[in-house]
Amino acid sequence: MRTHARFPGVAIAAALVLAACGGPGASPSAEESAAESEPAASASAQGGNGEADPMVMWERTGGNAPMVDALVAAWNDANPDRPIELTYVQHDQMVPNLARAIASGDVPDLMGLDLIYGPEFASLGHLEDITDYFEGDSTLDTASPGHIEVATWDDRLYGVPLYADVSVLFWNKDLFEAAGLDPETPPESLQDIHDMAAAITELGDGTYGYYLPGNCAGCNIFTFAPMIWASDADSKIEPSFPGEEAMVGDIKPVLEWARMMHAEGLIDPAAQAETGETFAEVFGSGNVGIMGTGNFNVALLQDQNPDLDLGVTVLPGLEAGTSASFAGGDIVTVPKGSERVEDAVDFMKFILSDEVQLEVYAQELNMTTRTDLLDNEYFNANEDVLDTAQAIPIARTPYTLKFFELINSPNGPWLQMLQRVYYTDDDLDEVIADAKEEMERIINE
Amino acid sequence: MYSSRRSKLIGFLYLAPALLFVLAFTAYPFGQMVWMSLHDWSLLEPPRFIGVDNFDRALNDRQFWGSLTFTLKYTLLITPILIVGGYLVALLTAPNTPLRRFTRGVVFVPVVIGLGASSLLWYWLFSPRNGLVNQALSDIGAIETPVLWLGVDADISMWAVIASVVWKVLGFGMILFVAAMQAIPSEVGEAATVDGAGYWQRVTRITLPLTLRTILLVTLFSVIGSLLAFDQFFIMTAGQPHNATATSVFYVYLNSFPFLRLGYGAALSLILAAIILLFTVVQVMLTRRSYA
Amino acid sequence: MTERPDALEAARMATGTSPRLRPGRSSYLVGAMCILLCVIVLTPLVVSVLASVKSPGESAAVPPTYVPQTFSLESYQRLWEFQSGLMTYVGNSLGVAFLTIAFTVALTVPAGYALARFPLPGKELLFVFLLLALIIPYQALLTPIFLIFAQIGLTNSLVGLAIIHTAIQMPFSLYIMRNSFEAVPRELEEAAVVDGGNTWQVLVRIFLPAVVPALVTVALFAFVMSWNEFLGALVMMNRDSSYTLPVILALSRTQTSLGGTDWGMLQAGVSIAILPCIAIYLLLQRYYVSGFLSGAVK
Repeated sequence: MRTHARFPGVAIAAALVLAACGGPGASPSAEESAAESEPAASASAQGGNGEADPMVMWERTGGNAPMVDALVAAWNDANPDRPIELTYVQHDQMVPNLARAIASGDVPDLMGLDLIYGPEFASLGHLEDITDYFEGDSTLDTASPGHIEVATWDDRLYGVPLYADVSVLFWNKDLFEAAGLDPETPPESLQDIHDMAAAITELGDGTYGYYLPGNCAGCNIFTFAPMIWASDADSKIEPSFPGEEAMVGDIKPVLEWARMMHAEGLIDPAAQAETGETFAEVFGSGNVGIMGTGNFNVALLQDQNPDLDLGVTVLPGLEAGTSASFAGGDIVTVPKGSERVEDAVDFMKFILSDEVQLEVYAQELNMTTRTDLLDNEYFNANEDVLDTAQAIPIARTPYTLKFFELINSPNGPWLQMLQRVYYTDDDLDEVIADAKEEMERIINE
Repeated sequence: MYSSRRSKLIGFLYLAPALLFVLAFTAYPFGQMVWMSLHDWSLLEPPRFIGVDNFDRALNDRQFWGSLTFTLKYTLLITPILIVGGYLVALLTAPNTPLRRFTRGVVFVPVVIGLGASSLLWYWLFSPRNGLVNQALSDIGAIETPVLWLGVDADISMWAVIASVVWKVLGFGMILFVAAMQAIPSEVGEAATVDGAGYWQRVTRITLPLTLRTILLVTLFSVIGSLLAFDQFFIMTAGQPHNATATSVFYVYLNSFPFLRLGYGAALSLILAAIILLFTVVQVMLTRRSYA
Repeated sequence: MTERPDALEAARMATGTSPRLRPGRSSYLVGAMCILLCVIVLTPLVVSVLASVKSPGESAAVPPTYVPQTFSLESYQRLWEFQSGLMTYVGNSLGVAFLTIAFTVALTVPAGYALARFPLPGKELLFVFLLLALIIPYQALLTPIFLIFAQIGLTNSLVGLAIIHTAIQMPFSLYIMRNSFEAVPRELEEAAVVDGGNTWQVLVRIFLPAVVPALVTVALFAFVMSWNEFLGALVMMNRDSSYTLPVILALSRTQTSLGGTDWGMLQAGVSIAILPCIAIYLLLQRYYVSGFLSGAVK
């Protein structure tokens, strides 16, 4: 009996042992997780590099990855004893990943979060309160107001800006000239955009006057919603809390304008398939006369198409002289249960410091997250970047507990409404009413 | 020779590792899932017991039924293509000449690569501006403006996905059919030829009936596989537009992950499993009947 | 699948056209159809690999080119350096795949033996198990498994993911192994028993060599499944250094870094993902196909 039983018994025992140890030496990740939970045993993680104690940082994909890479690299250079291991998480997996991490107690040490998720996570208690660490710290006074607002809950602070995007209106001066428009005069109202786009579309040959992505909720909230805000300063698309109304304000005229732009063929039909993946390179292709996009497109354009003569202005509303912008980007937060809160806060202070703001953000022509440093040598040397800075004072960030379900989701009411506006003849009042109803249903869930 | 009881015990010990493994890593999570289906479980808040509310909700969930309808539509369209296409290719490549053996081998190649890799490949091919499908169609003058294959129109998206899956999976049916065909004794075919039967007559009167069992088997696998389709839609359309190309399993995924409605996702899985079980039972019964 | 070397015999054997009765025209037609079929099937693979060796400028070009005008390994270079580096991801994928094979073999060999050769009520249980495993979408099981694993420290580990892959493959593997054990002639076993061996020795000396083909098949399918699986990897791994290749490929589409999808790099990744699968198929064709057949037709 003993001899028969030996093999199965050994197999069971081996399986259990393997399971318990998580496979010693089976993967580098085994060491990483050991390092995360037991700083004292971390010497093995860096293989003899002294006392390197890495921190795990999550960041979403589809954001300004080069910016984040640069910041982490700068930190790692300055802090070789506590480097950051950056992990990109697919942006639509961010929320479930974090939920699982919190439920299982295995949270990353710090986390870059699309700023619009700040209220939701803070309100649910998933972020560490870092207010006290910034007591008396003056760098926060001038940090981007939109970021700070969404990082604040119940008067307590839960994060600081990681990077800032603002939306602006680009125009192609070369196409303007070719169409007989004054290349130095930007559109100042939605009507202007229409008229100028019509002239440019006349050029034909795959050239279109304007561009609105048809399958990207985030792109539209970023570059189209400000037109709604500019047209009615009291308008508000998103309900912030349960019980609040959605789609407040005079939104219909702007939707009518968008529908008209499509109906008149001023927008490339291929835009209907744009999911955001190629959005940032559309303007650089040189086939679009006017387009809403973000400040990041300035630096990108220099790589993609440096010869393109670019004009930058603010996103207008119905009336000339009105304007608005979306203050987007990421905030860096500390998940609840992180064991490296102080190190994380040090990272936050690091990126808010003068030197990093200037030498990492500004030098790469990205927005500084501190408004007092917008006036710097790098920006002053670049007219386009200066123009994008105009958008910052007028920029707004939606504040809601359910931003993804309401707005960013590819299956949510915002995109659904826009697609009906752009591509169908559905009655606009009905379209707005349906979106409003769905949004209110979601916020009240 | 062992006594029966001792034999049973020894056998059980050999079975034990696998049994324990299955209990720990399949049965237990399944039990957990059933438990979750009775709760409102979001991972971010403590689970709340709600009994059969999830199932009730599913019955009234337009999106759930919509996904099911779409999945059925997809299954009903792709299955005949796979069976008929696979069978025809099998007829073509069944004889063991070098060229036909080679062809058989080639057609089987897409079967061995992963569905994820295949979907990414076709995702690129169907890309409106960077993909070669539109380029080829435009080069032969079939289209003027780029077709928006994926994510804009539900039917076009579905056909694009069907094309990619047929490319990948056809070889699977083909190989099984070829094996069944080659199992038919050659004398039968020869006798029929001597009697003056033409090629297609031989196919319909001899080959088809004698390979019926395999046809039904392949159909069963195809149907179950299509009802459970996920990867290809996740990668190629992500359910777009507006979840019109979200299959049932994709909807389960949406609830279990981005929506964080784990209890509901679990309930949906169970309902789906029941439906598929029903399908399978019906199909197997029909299969049995065809022999009776 | 028996093969008859005599071409004529073979042609007769099947229910296709017998060349002797209708020579010439129809065999050209058949040949043309075969070649056409091969071209259609191979074209997507070929263009994908070709696309991966275009220069970055060309792979982003609109309109796209069919055949590369430029030759560059830069897409592979970028893939190599992408985030934690291709080595890490491929290493993880290989590690998980081999562990899956190891677990699968270790579990299903004794289990197949038990089910085939011992008086257990296993047949019915097995059938029910197979059926259930076939119809339940494993996607919904992932989160419960994740929560369980989190408590025992198996998240972000190759072993944990391998366990999941083994579980997914278990029904098919068990089925193949059991059939294979069953097919071993009783006389062999009886002879060994008469020689005075215990069950373990019988297993190792008699059965194991006899079921090696099935083992290869099982290992092969386990490898391919594990190498390509991505949702489980996506759920279990939340640290970049643990990501497997399929996860990184899916990620690289949305990781646009504001420059649009890097098609060249994506196709490079696809090429690397499909290469081992095709290589294994070419080397182990016999086992691949026999596995299909024994798993399905029996």
